[in-house]
Parts: sequence; structure tokens; C-alpha cells
Amino acid sequence: MEIIEKKEDSFVILNLKGRLDTTNYGELEKKIFELLEKKENNIIIDCEKLDYISSSGLRILLMGLKKFKANKGKFVLCDLQENIKEIFEISGFSSIFDIYESQDDALKA
Amino acid sequence: MKIMSVDDEPDMELLIRQKFRKKIKNGEYEFVFAENGLEALTKLIEHPDIGIILTDINMPEMDGLTLLTKINELKNPTLKTVIVSAYGDMENIRTAMNRGAFDFATKPIDFEDLEITIKKTIEQVEVLQKAEKDSKQLSAIRHDLKIAKQIQQSILPKKFPPFPNRKDFEIYASMNSAKSVGGDFYDFFLINDEMLGFVIADVSDKGIPAAIYMAVSRTIIRAAALTGLSPEKCMEYSNDLLSKENISDMFVTVFYGILNTKTGEIIYSNAGHNPPCILKKDGTVIETELTHDIVLGIMEDAKFKTKNISLKPGDTIYLYTDGVTEAMNKKHELYSEKRLEKELIKLKDSSPQEIINGIISSVEEFTKGAEQSDDITMLTLKYDGN
Repeated sequence: MEIIEKKEDSFVILNLKGRLDTTNYGELEKKIFELLEKKENNIIIDCEKLDYISSSGLRILLMGLKKFKANKGKFVLCDLQENIKEIFEISGFSSIFDIYESQDDALKA
Repeated sequence: MKIMSVDDEPDMELLIRQKFRKKIKNGEYEFVFAENGLEALTKLIEHPDIGIILTDINMPEMDGLTLLTKINELKNPTLKTVIVSAYGDMENIRTAMNRGAFDFATKPIDFEDLEITIKKTIEQVEVLQKAEKDSKQLSAIRHDLKIAKQIQQSILPKKFPPFPNRKDFEIYASMNSAKSVGGDFYDFFLINDEMLGFVIADVSDKGIPAAIYMAVSRTIIRAAALTGLSPEKCMEYSNDLLSKENISDMFVTVFYGILNTKTGEIIYSNAGHNPPCILKKDGTVIETELTHDIVLGIMEDAKFKTKNISLKPGDTIYLYTDGVTEAMNKKHELYSEKRLEKELIKLKDSSPQEIINGIISSVEEFTKGAEQSDDITMLTLKYDGN
């Protein structure tokens, strides 16, 4: 998995590329803690190039959501591929995350 | 560090005690003395914690080179020998080095130089001692993991057929963890004579934390289910308990169904688990509808739903974890739901055990040579009717 970080307005956008699974979720976890430490408040996880997410990956996103919400910040997702959407549907995660069609929609929200 | 000096010169002990008195006093060095190789070996048995031996070569009873050979036979990597011999004795010193001595010093002894040599040797011995300790700890952990695996396997029902007197249904299940302990589990139990509860679940992690979480979830769900709660109430109760105690954002996906063994009707809740399939008697495969419920353990007071589906005699419900469909081959392709469906169709008319074994071999063939990355768990329940 590759994580590309970008800053736009008050948002930090993390583009995830490849597979987020049990072998590499630690990288995303580390990145999220880094952003928390830098007192960033609004995070967009752009999943356009994310091909696969395992349950360990879901767990890290959940952790991110909880931590940023606790700081009254935002932690939203956008641009999910069909198979990832399906995983979010099955797991019920689509009901607890704010999920947007595109990065633009997420930035406007 | 415990050091043994082996020398037949009687004033050696005195000399060493004097030159290293500070280090001896503050406990950095502790010395043991022997006058020849034989005595050295005896002392080595008395003091197994000796890390360094300083030995002369020419001694009565047993010389230094023979002693070195004997020490080598002990195969103790944390015991190092430093040869202390006359400068003119270079040939013997070379022999000693070739036999595995760590270093040498020449006589008359330059104590400053000897101290440097001892220091360097201590560093080496300490690195090796630490490695040895780590390795011992590691094997203790491995041992614990092995026991943990046994405990984990023992809480899953393992006796098949589990209800030999029942002719109205057949059930089989298996769990293969990717690491020595896993986060998947299955379970089944008779709630009463007519109601058979069955569960499959997948914890969002692997290894020891997942195994502990798995044991807790399984126990909570089983206890709630056995009181006769409906699937949705059972999920709600279990979810509340798991969410309250959750400290590491772990969660578990659970499918819980109850088969009415008289009518073939199944009522179920699906808390975020991939939908089980029904393999019909005629060979068609359908997916059970989702109830769109959330995984257990992350949201207190979440509400769950119950749906139902009917089995006709000869139909089988097949439950699995994503370790099956997401098994990856060396080309990074997933086994996929499509392959699973095809394989299930091929397995119509098979017994629950044959179906599971069939899928296991199909997955194994697909992933040949690739490492198993996730737990693979399945449960099959065939309804035979009355």
C-alpha cells in the first residue's frame, strides 16, 4: 500500500493506493497518529486507488474515525471502488462513516 | 562478569587480585583461579556462569590447548577463552587461535592491554548472553502459543457428527488459522429439541489479541443464544457487552442463525459478516440476504434485524469467513466468490464434510505455494427433513 498525503484548505487528504490489510495497516495507523499529533482536524481518506481492504484495515479506519470525532474533527471517506463499497455495506460501516462520491464533494461538506 | 584465570604460576592470583582490585571491589569482575586444565574443568562445573577463561598454555596435568579442546566440546557460545602465553610461544598461540580461542595476550602481562582484551571479550559475551536469553524467551512464547492454540481449538465443537441420533440434519465445520492462533470461530448448539443455533464469526485481527477477543465473543454469544433469544436480540445483547469493554477498537463480524428442524426455516441476523450461501438440492446457489447490521463491538445500543430463509430437504447452508474468498495466489489474485460458487455447484449432492473438504482442496490448489494470510473457517448445515 502507498499513502500519498496532500493538504487542501483545512483538510489533509490521504490517498490510499493498493491493498490495506493485516500486513500493512500499521503504516496507516502511524500516519493517523502523526496527524493527530500535528493537531490536524479534518481528514479525507481518498479510496479511489484502494483495491482491497481487510478487517484489520477497517479497524484502523474505525480508530481514526473515533479519534478525530473525539477532537470534534472530521474523518471522512470518498471515491470508494465497488468492491470496497460492498465491504462497507456488508459490515455496516457505511452507516457510521460519512462517505462521499468524490474528493470535491468531501471538501465541500 | 565471572572470569577464570588458569595458570600454574602461583603468584598469578596475587597479581590479578592486585591489578584488578578496583573492578573486583565494585563487583564488575569476579575471579576464579585454577592451576591447570583439569582443575579448570572442575571449577567450570562449580561455576557454570563463568563467561571468560584466561589460560596459560604450558601447565602440568592438562595443558591449555587440551583445555581449549575440552571447552569446545561444551559447545557453549557464551564462554570465551583468551590465551595468555609467552611471546616466544607464537606457534602454540596460533594453534590455540585456530582451535577457537577468542583472543590472546602475551607474557610478561601488560595489564592495561589485558584489560582492553577482557573488556572486548565481555562485550562479545554479553551480546551472546542476551541473544541466548532472547532465544530462550522466544521458545517459551512459542510454547505458550502452542498451548493457546490447543485451548482455542478445544473450545470449538470438534466431535462430528455432534448429534449422532439426529437424522433430520447434518453439520460439519472446520477452522484453519493463518497464525498459530486465529480470530475466526464457529459454533453450534441445540437450544431445544427443535431449534439448532449455528454461528460463524471473524475477529478484525489475528494472533493473540484476536484469539482472546474470539474466546470472549464466542462465550457471550453462546450464553445469550442458549437462553432462547431471537437472533436480533442475541446480537443486540452481545454487541452491548462487547462494545462496553472494547479498548482496542476490535470488532467481530457474526452470522447467527437458528434452524427450525421441523420446518427447515432459518431465522438469522448478519452482523457485518459476508453472506452465507444456500446450496440447493438441484445445484443452484443463492446468497442469503444481508440484514445490513453493523459488526459487533463498536457501537453500543445498535439495533439488529432478523430475516428468514427456508431450506427444503436436501438443501445446505454454507457459511464461511473471507479467508476463503480472499485467499490469494502467487499472482495476487483472489479466490473470489465466483470461484467459490462454481466449486459449490460441483459439490452438490455432497455431505457437509465433503463440501468443506472439497472447498479446502480447491483453495489449496488455487493458492499453491503462496502463504496463507487469513484464517479459513467454514460451517455447513444440511437439512434432511423428517
